[in-house]
Amino acid sequence: MITARDIQVRIGKKPILHGVDFVAKPGEVTAIVGPNGSGKTTLLRALTDEIVWTGQVQINGRDIGAYKTWDLAAVRAVLPQAATLAFPFTVIEVVRMGLRSGIHGDRDIVAQRALAMVGLGGYEQRFFQELSGGEQQRAHLARVLCQVWDPVVDGVPRWMLLDEPVASLDIGHQLLIMRCLEDFAKRGGGVIAVMHDLNLTAMVADMVTIISDGRVIASGPVKEVFTDASLSAAYHCQLRANTIPDDHAAFILPQVAQSVVSLRGEAITVAG
Amino acid sequence: MTISVDIQTVRRPMDRRTRARQAHIWLALLLAAVSVISLATGPTGTSLWVAMVKIIDGEPLTAMERVVIWDIRMPRLILGIAVGAALAVSGAVMQGLFRNPLADPGLVGVGAGAGLGAILAIVLGALLPLWIAELVGNALVPVAAFMGGWLSTIILYRVSTRRGRTSVATMLLAGIALGALAGAVSGILVYVADDRQLRDLTFWGLGSLAGATWSKVLIAGPLIGVAVLASLFLGRGLNALALGEATASHLGFSVQRLKSAAIVTVAAATGAAVAVSGGIGFIGIVVPHLLRLATGPDHETLLLNAALLGATLLLAADIISRQIIAPAELPIGIVTAVLGAPVFLWILLRRRGLVEM
Ligand SMILES: Nc1ncnc2c1ncn2[C@@H]1O[C@H](COP(=O)(O)OP(=O)(O)OP(=O)(O)O)[C@@H](O)[C@H]1O
Ligand SMILES: [Mg+2]
Repeated sequence: MITARDIQVRIGKKPILHGVDFVAKPGEVTAIVGPNGSGKTTLLRALTDEIVWTGQVQINGRDIGAYKTWDLAAVRAVLPQAATLAFPFTVIEVVRMGLRSGIHGDRDIVAQRALAMVGLGGYEQRFFQELSGGEQQRAHLARVLCQVWDPVVDGVPRWMLLDEPVASLDIGHQLLIMRCLEDFAKRGGGVIAVMHDLNLTAMVADMVTIISDGRVIASGPVKEVFTDASLSAAYHCQLRANTIPDDHAAFILPQVAQSVVSLRGEAITVAG
Repeated sequence: MTISVDIQTVRRPMDRRTRARQAHIWLALLLAAVSVISLATGPTGTSLWVAMVKIIDGEPLTAMERVVIWDIRMPRLILGIAVGAALAVSGAVMQGLFRNPLADPGLVGVGAGAGLGAILAIVLGALLPLWIAELVGNALVPVAAFMGGWLSTIILYRVSTRRGRTSVATMLLAGIALGALAGAVSGILVYVADDRQLRDLTFWGLGSLAGATWSKVLIAGPLIGVAVLASLFLGRGLNALALGEATASHLGFSVQRLKSAAIVTVAAATGAAVAVSGGIGFIGIVVPHLLRLATGPDHETLLLNAALLGATLLLAADIISRQIIAPAELPIGIVTAVLGAPVFLWILLRRRGLVEM
């Protein structure tokens, strides 16, 4: 379990988060959604103790302040929204940085498998800085996967905290990565992902928390939370949450755009 | 959709990590070879081989052989290895810390700060209360150099780092300012120095291993040895730091402690090296750069390789400095500058984009 209670963050004089409560369970993908500047990254940074915050954050029942940096890294890996890299490292060298001592089996094989899982098999010896934006993002994700390779260790779940893991990926790789995260959760790990694509979120996430202007607007199972009212309130525009009849997944349509889309073709009409 | 991962199909070309590990062995052998040449070289014509044969046969050495090989060449060899390793490793650690391949203690004023510390100790050391002088004894100059290097590293880091990002432009400019300040204060000290102190001071400007003695080895050797050994444990942390401070901490490294350890290491190694050999330039920047070109930037292998190659190159430069105008000798700082500066320019020419100001 990751629980956060009454998280408040202010940067300078400006309050960014006004008492946010947040819960994520192992075995589930928990999404955080909300408009630009609403405080999603800030919440994630509080959960990872990267900024000054007040309130309480517990990972697996223990205050994060009680963990040593090294022990904390053993239970959770973090993908930042934007990552930098100094020096011309190769892809495999970057991924290996996620490897920790105490991993089971051949460490190099783990790094290679992580790369293959994000669709970068064969990229090992390429220079990281020469990859495309989406490829770099996936390489960083492979590094994160390495860090928490086994989703459960000695009965203790491990966590991935990801800030927009699929932001610059094409649709095929978005699906690939989301399936990776789902799989990690199915095997007992916990995933917290900041997301912008509501449809992808509806498809993959078990739980979702909507944040707007530094407050939680709604939180719970996707189908309960993704309502016309909560989405429209969060994003300050008219949105409609529909359900695809076949597989009961929600999909979100902007109201204005709906008429535009229906003018153009039948695909959406069929889906609706 | 399922994720199928077929490891068999994954290509596994020769990793440069393997090459970097093999380089430990090759560079160690090279260092051993150059060390022997260094021991065998000198203006007196005393032969290492003759002495070796005598030792093996159990014959006594002549006083001349004993003095030349044991009291002159041997401390010089050890000091050369220590100083070369110290300069190269300091460069590599500092570059990792600043996340920039152009950071070098010599270029950014840490060497100047250490030199100032040493000069202060030489000129004003006599004014210290007796009990302090007795306490630190011979170590006064290296300790002062260490403090000077440490202080300037901290000032430099504070000035040029904002929110975890280090600006190279600020760093180089701050280095120029620190260097100028150190130069000015040194200038003042030159006025108040007496003749003997002046001779000691001149030595700083040029850089030389000529004054190597066992007492210098005993003072600088352990400090450099500990610093270089300690730096070998910074490798993984410095790699993580390349991803930024936040990510390094997410990977489990206590960033503040890592940075402090790196700063103390650089200050100790640079301070001790400067204290015994003066300002020897370019080893700290050229050696890590050449190694990064050959075997990549992985600090886990880079730091040890830098120590080995730095020691080798400094010994080679020392041999050149002793032979080129024998029986006189050239200050080694001149040799490293003449050889190192063009290499440095070549690096800049090849990788103009390296300095993102
Ligand atoms: N370092 C900072 N200094 C000042 N304000 C900041 C800082 N970092 C974030 N903020 C402000 O805090 C608010 C929340 O930012 P945050 O990065 O959490 O948004 P976000 O929800 O992740 O947005 P996005 O979807 O664009 O990633 C924004 O209004 C932003 O301007
Ligand atoms: Mg964000």
